[in-house]
Amino acid sequence: MSDSKNSNTPVDAQRRRVLMGMGAAGVALAGSALSCPAMAAGEAQVAEAPKSDKTQDRHDYHGMHQSGIVTPRPAAGMMVAFDVLAADHKDLERLFKLLDQRIKFLMTGGEVQEIDPKLPPVDSGILGPVVTPDNLTITVSVGASLFDERFGLEHAKPKHLIQMVGFPNDALEPALCHGDLTLQFCSNTPDTNIHALRDIVKNMPDLLLVRWKQEGTVPAQAPKKPSEPAESARNFLGFRDGSANPDSNDNKAMDAIVWVQPGSEEPAWAANGSYQAVRLIRNFVERWDRTPLQEQESIFGRKKITGAPFDGTTEHDVPDYHKDPEGKLTRLDSHIRLANPRTPESQANLILRRPFNYSNGVNKNGQLDMGLLFICYQANLEKGFITVQTRLNGEPLEEYLKPMGGGYFFTLPGVKNDQDFIGRSLLQASKTKNA
Amino acid sequence: MKKSPLALLLSLGLLHAPVSAFAADNSALDLVQPISDYKIYVTDELDKLGTQTQAFTDAIKKGDLEAAKKLYAPTRVHYESIEPIAELFSDLDASIDSRVDDHEKGVTAEDFTGFHRLEYSLYSEKTTKGLEALADKLNNDVKDLQTRVAGLTFPPEKVVGGAAALMEEVAATKVSGEEDRYSHTDLYDFQGNVDGAKKIFELFKPQVQKKDAAFVTKVEKNFGTVDKILAKYKTKDGGYETYDKVKDADRKALIGPVNTLAEDLSTLRGKLGLN
Repeated sequence: MSDSKNSNTPVDAQRRRVLMGMGAAGVALAGSALSCPAMAAGEAQVAEAPKSDKTQDRHDYHGMHQSGIVTPRPAAGMMVAFDVLAADHKDLERLFKLLDQRIKFLMTGGEVQEIDPKLPPVDSGILGPVVTPDNLTITVSVGASLFDERFGLEHAKPKHLIQMVGFPNDALEPALCHGDLTLQFCSNTPDTNIHALRDIVKNMPDLLLVRWKQEGTVPAQAPKKPSEPAESARNFLGFRDGSANPDSNDNKAMDAIVWVQPGSEEPAWAANGSYQAVRLIRNFVERWDRTPLQEQESIFGRKKITGAPFDGTTEHDVPDYHKDPEGKLTRLDSHIRLANPRTPESQANLILRRPFNYSNGVNKNGQLDMGLLFICYQANLEKGFITVQTRLNGEPLEEYLKPMGGGYFFTLPGVKNDQDFIGRSLLQASKTKNA
Repeated sequence: MKKSPLALLLSLGLLHAPVSAFAADNSALDLVQPISDYKIYVTDELDKLGTQTQAFTDAIKKGDLEAAKKLYAPTRVHYESIEPIAELFSDLDASIDSRVDDHEKGVTAEDFTGFHRLEYSLYSEKTTKGLEALADKLNNDVKDLQTRVAGLTFPPEKVVGGAAALMEEVAATKVSGEEDRYSHTDLYDFQGNVDGAKKIFELFKPQVQKKDAAFVTKVEKNFGTVDKILAKYKTKDGGYETYDKVKDADRKALIGPVNTLAEDLSTLRGKLGLN
């Protein structure tokens, strides 16, 4: 878990390979190794593992805030929602302590314990005998249902935490919604995330039950020269996603937008936590790909190639809607204008988007089931995601989208040190009931 | 049923078992008694399966739909309880117990036979018509199974490992209610699997107790929880409610102990020193 006061880059990232090793890209890496004579030491074999020099990258587990929020997205993400099977408050404490222990190990890496081969191995073995952190973050959040009568947490519920209610364009599938607890896994490769999930599933069968899971990716780009501005990754509609995100390295901005502050209207235990909104949004990509470019662009309000607003040249240029009150240049109902009208009032509705693209197979009619694993963080769920999404209700983009799952959760404050553990402040608050 | 250890070894064919199947330490001989007891249990369950399958298939051939439906679940339960042994004969397991989703062509697949094929006609098509051949085949397959099991040397690792295998069955197909998708009689199978696992655990408990008493306590507690929840759905005639009656909270409450039993019992072979 990284303190927002610290750098968000991985411990081992000084070599600036951040963009290079965007892991989805195992394949891309292997390919580049072959095409680059300097790197190709001997002929590679078919079965050889793709090479990555980022497997030792890791994030500190301890910090004021959990990592995986203002941390730059690696190439692979996975959101897993669980039902908590713990019987009571004491059992819930056992859950959090065990989870703390597992996450600490997985994010740090290390040797897997060898045991009597007559017994099942303690680790799935996916990453070999030594677990590599591979840039892994595991972010723990809790749903409104955790605050029901089971654990005596009723009085400790964050003020705005509710079970997600469907928006008009939603077609929510119950099996893909809500949950008592979510774990957001992010790392360089899907395999590292899967290894971590299987570790937790194996170690906590009596405490956690997987409710739904969605994996996603972020497409990698070639490294930029230092003089070139950073570019946001693209979603499966081919547009840059998150161009208008607040600066995740600006601690002041993050305190205002993302982190619940001490002394706020929220329960004291929730300070340094954040609200997590998750949406599984299917994209009708065949239909989108049959839509004229200029229409795609006017629906979004941005140029597709550069990501720039219509009155700018780069994606980070800020559109000036004052000069376009009737929406002649940027439609009034375009996605970016509704989402962020750039008024003084709408500054209160800023959110930090941290989405992944998902691809799940094929629907019955032969259409591709893919879209966005939307994840965003904010200090106030009502002012943040709910207000933004409400403004977007009825937007023209809806014709190409169908949200079918997700939920609202509260991301717990970070783990300060070895004496602390994830969820401790929540458990203590509920004991004293003066949260 | 009391026999001398040597007679047991002979009658069970254990003397033919490869020596390596047993751990090198002297506790290996401790396993002879429980394995012979397990064979007695399996034989007994198979006898019941044989008798009841005869009655079940007779009812079908007589065209008595209601009687056949009544006998379906209580008959199957004896198969479910001994699955670790029954599954050793994969051809019979497929023809007796395969489910519709094991067949690409679904209910029309020619090799879709056995309990679930009959279940489909009895509960979904609501008829006994045209099932004579399927009924005869099931009856013959069960008899075949009895003969083959009688001549089988029980492999110790399959017997001990069967406890975990049965709980894996529950976790994978019973909790979801997909096993008996037409009759919704999953709770019978559920109990059959759990009873079968518990039987194995009970037989080897004395050996494990010596090595890991805390393990025994934990496993017994989880079996207790499962039994307690299942008992809520027992009907007056000794049967079970249909699976759709099981409350969501109870389904959820079953999953933790079931998964934990599968996890814990997967160490039983190792704890007994079996390869």
